[in-house]
Amino acid sequence: MPYNIAMVSDFFFPQPGGIESHIYQLSTKLIDRGHKVIIITHAYKGRTGVRYLTNGLKVYHVPFLVIYRESTMPTVFSFFPIFRNIVIREQIQIVHGHASLSSFCHEAILHARTMGLRTVFTDHSLFGFADASSILTNKLLKFTLSDVDHVICVSHTCKENTVLRASLDPLMVSVIPNAVVAENFQPLEQGGPPSSIGPNDIITIVVISRLFYNKGTDLLIATIPRILSSHPNVRFIIAGSGPKAIDLEQMLERNVLQDKVEMLGPVRHEEVRDVMVRGHIYLHPSLTEAFGTVLVEAASCGLYVVCTRVGGIPEVLPQHMTTFAKPEEDDLVMATSKAIAALRSNKVRTDRFHDQVKMMYSWTDVAQRTERVYKGIQGDISPEEFYGYYPGQGWEASGDRVRSFALIDRLKRYYGCGVWAGKLFCLCVVIDVLIYVFLEMWFPRVNIDIARSWPKKLKQKEVADSTGNGPDRVSSTT
Amino acid sequence: MPPLSHSPQPVPPPVPVETHPNRAVGIKPPAQQRTLPDPSRLAPEDAYYSPALVRTRTAPAAYDESIRGLNGSTGTASSVAALRPPHAAPARKLRGTSRRRRRKGAWKKLLWVKQSYPDNYTDTETFLDHLQRNPRVRPYDFWPLVADSTVIVQHVCSVAIFVCCFVGIVQGRVSPVSVVCWGSVGTAVGWILWDSWVFREHGESHVVERASEGDDGSTSSGSTASSMNPITTTRSNDQKEHQVHGLGLTMSHGETDPGRRSSSSGLGDPCSQDAASFGGPNGVAAGAVPPLPPHDAPMTSRLSSRNRQRLSTVKSAFLIYCALLGLSPILKSLTKSTASDSIWAMSCWLLITNIFSFDYGSGKGAGATKFPASLSTNAAVMASTVLASRLPSTTHVFSLMLFSIEVFGLFPIFRRQLRHISWTGHAFMTLALVITAGGAVGITLRGGLTAAVVGSMLGSILTALAMGGCSWWLISLQKYKNVVTGPWDPARPIIRRHWD
Repeated sequence: MPYNIAMVSDFFFPQPGGIESHIYQLSTKLIDRGHKVIIITHAYKGRTGVRYLTNGLKVYHVPFLVIYRESTMPTVFSFFPIFRNIVIREQIQIVHGHASLSSFCHEAILHARTMGLRTVFTDHSLFGFADASSILTNKLLKFTLSDVDHVICVSHTCKENTVLRASLDPLMVSVIPNAVVAENFQPLEQGGPPSSIGPNDIITIVVISRLFYNKGTDLLIATIPRILSSHPNVRFIIAGSGPKAIDLEQMLERNVLQDKVEMLGPVRHEEVRDVMVRGHIYLHPSLTEAFGTVLVEAASCGLYVVCTRVGGIPEVLPQHMTTFAKPEEDDLVMATSKAIAALRSNKVRTDRFHDQVKMMYSWTDVAQRTERVYKGIQGDISPEEFYGYYPGQGWEASGDRVRSFALIDRLKRYYGCGVWAGKLFCLCVVIDVLIYVFLEMWFPRVNIDIARSWPKKLKQKEVADSTGNGPDRVSSTT
Repeated sequence: MPPLSHSPQPVPPPVPVETHPNRAVGIKPPAQQRTLPDPSRLAPEDAYYSPALVRTRTAPAAYDESIRGLNGSTGTASSVAALRPPHAAPARKLRGTSRRRRRKGAWKKLLWVKQSYPDNYTDTETFLDHLQRNPRVRPYDFWPLVADSTVIVQHVCSVAIFVCCFVGIVQGRVSPVSVVCWGSVGTAVGWILWDSWVFREHGESHVVERASEGDDGSTSSGSTASSMNPITTTRSNDQKEHQVHGLGLTMSHGETDPGRRSSSSGLGDPCSQDAASFGGPNGVAAGAVPPLPPHDAPMTSRLSSRNRQRLSTVKSAFLIYCALLGLSPILKSLTKSTASDSIWAMSCWLLITNIFSFDYGSGKGAGATKFPASLSTNAAVMASTVLASRLPSTTHVFSLMLFSIEVFGLFPIFRRQLRHISWTGHAFMTLALVITAGGAVGITLRGGLTAAVVGSMLGSILTALAMGGCSWWLISLQKYKNVVTGPWDPARPIIRRHWD
């Protein structure tokens, strides 16, 4: 049962990043599985209008005001007309939003529910509850997610966080991790048996991260001199840029470590592998991390991973590939020393890492699991099977998992968001519905052309034929 | 329901997962543990039930008890919110459950293993088990809270007194010269007291020895050095905390802030300069060199250094006096062209800023205050500058400016020091300030001695009520405190900065 899916996010190529590549990889794999996927994002510099990427992945770059770090201005309704147009043109059934800081995605989910479409939201990041900005973001998230059909999180910690932030039913939240394209992160080709590391061989530690506070650059700055002073045959390669780069360079100058630490500056994502394969250990001192794709990439390149035990990191890699440390200077130094010792004693079979990681994470698997979510919300899997039936768990009574499109039910859900916020949200939803009615009158559906789908590959031809049934479902919901 | 014979765990005990130290592996916890939820922790259901429901769901008695625990002054109260004992396995495990659950291996909170559970499976044992509620909550007690609020009362009262003096001067009821004379006399007395305290403490903490004398001279040499001092002072305080546990400790705490204020506000008030120059050598010596028994030679040189400092204090006081005298005509005409309404509004806002951004701390967590202490001093001095333009003569302006420096620049230092030295003195000072402020307000509003008496009575009663009421209010608000922390919060890195 192929679906027409629209991925909506502020963050997409040409801007590089984890969310961007997640959307791209997931979309291409879903297309491979016979679905039709389009991506809606805002216009980037020099990139407006419709683009086609590999495999017929269609990208709509909608002109929109960008306010901060490529996220658009949160205007609650102004995205609706063009969004409706795109959705009708492309006969979309499922709207899948990404990233909680993207106001595009929040708007799209709201409008999609108004138009009677099923919605999915993927959360990629962790937020606290204390500071003002996260309180605001959490309120916004609660607004959007009070009427979403399903939520996907990238790790179990992320799921706990999202469930708390948006007051969701935990069964409506799936955990589907990120993945890596293992072919792009292959270790160096080695002829013959794996070379062993002698007691005096140079061990290179690689650090690839943006040099920000929350990436733990302070910890890195504190640990490097101590590691280097206790292990003379160790070298560092640091890639990445950011506000903490100056501190790092100052530390190098003060301790005269320039010959042992190589600073590469920012590297492109394609070059990450080439940097990684130069080292033996990957050090990741981050202070918060929802998933930590870079750890998987490093392990895939055959690096032994030393990382802090924060956020979702402990769930990502098995014990034999990693050494965990507390986010403390002393513990990180100790963990790194342990890792160096383990490598020197040749106890760690890093040459097998690549194949193991390939087994663990693949985008095909992610697409398959995402497809199950789509099936569940579209009703192709029965709710009992999708949400499970566990007697005595206490929350099966809520029974509100299959979200009806009736306006009064939607208003009920929004009203529960808070004393004042609930009323405000209800007002927004009512206005949204009115705008929708207005748009239906002024720009009738019949006047909107239906876009032709990209020709499918031959082997999925018979699957493609059945997509014609899709639009009925969409148009019959108002 | 499947037969009970299946209930003993058919699956082998799960592999110990490092991410879950609390997970009960292979141990069957007592079933009744499940029935008593710990109110300090969230259950998964709480995530989507409304808070009101949560409160009704947990037993009210237990909830009250936890609140009482929060209010109690016991040191262990913070452990109320500590991780609860291993989350009990749900009772359904004992009762037996659906076929599917038994068929599968135990669910693990890992992403890299392929598990036979659906992606939206929520494990009741481990879900949210690292969540903590109010982990670092510090319960308040009524009387300490009231005692702490005296600091605020003191400052508000001194601001009120200043305003009343200004009104008196403007209305011509009070002579500006008499105001500034009384103020200066008070300041002089305060300085002498302060100086003797400092000297006494200095003598008592005989960790100072020869090595410090060089520093002593250099740091107290002039007003330019004061910009360097606060750093030395603050750092030395930290070292000192580990080294000396005498009266000297409280001493240097008190000195930290005045020094900073003087350097940042650019006033260069003599007392704080003095303070800064004291903290420096004192702390450095304590941190660097082991204490030596005192003997005569350092004693005499210390005395002479004291005198040198007194001299420099007097010198800078004189300098400020002269500078103000010279600046008065300029200050008088500075905002003359501004309308009076704007002046009143502006000075109101500036004084409010002063009250709200004033550093009420005892100097212990001086670095933790959000606003720099200079903000409040600057606001107050600016307020008096703005007000000065409404005065008729240069003498008036000079008096008001000098008085404002005394009230806003020097008086807080004295109050802080007094609080460290003697609590009774502090209490009496508060009482005196409240009575004076009440009386001043009474005179300003109505005039006459009766109004003053009524004002001070009323002021004292109102202040006492406000102090008690606000403290009680703050304590009663504590039950709404709900800080949720968990593994998603950015970790706080622990770094020892000693590598340079």
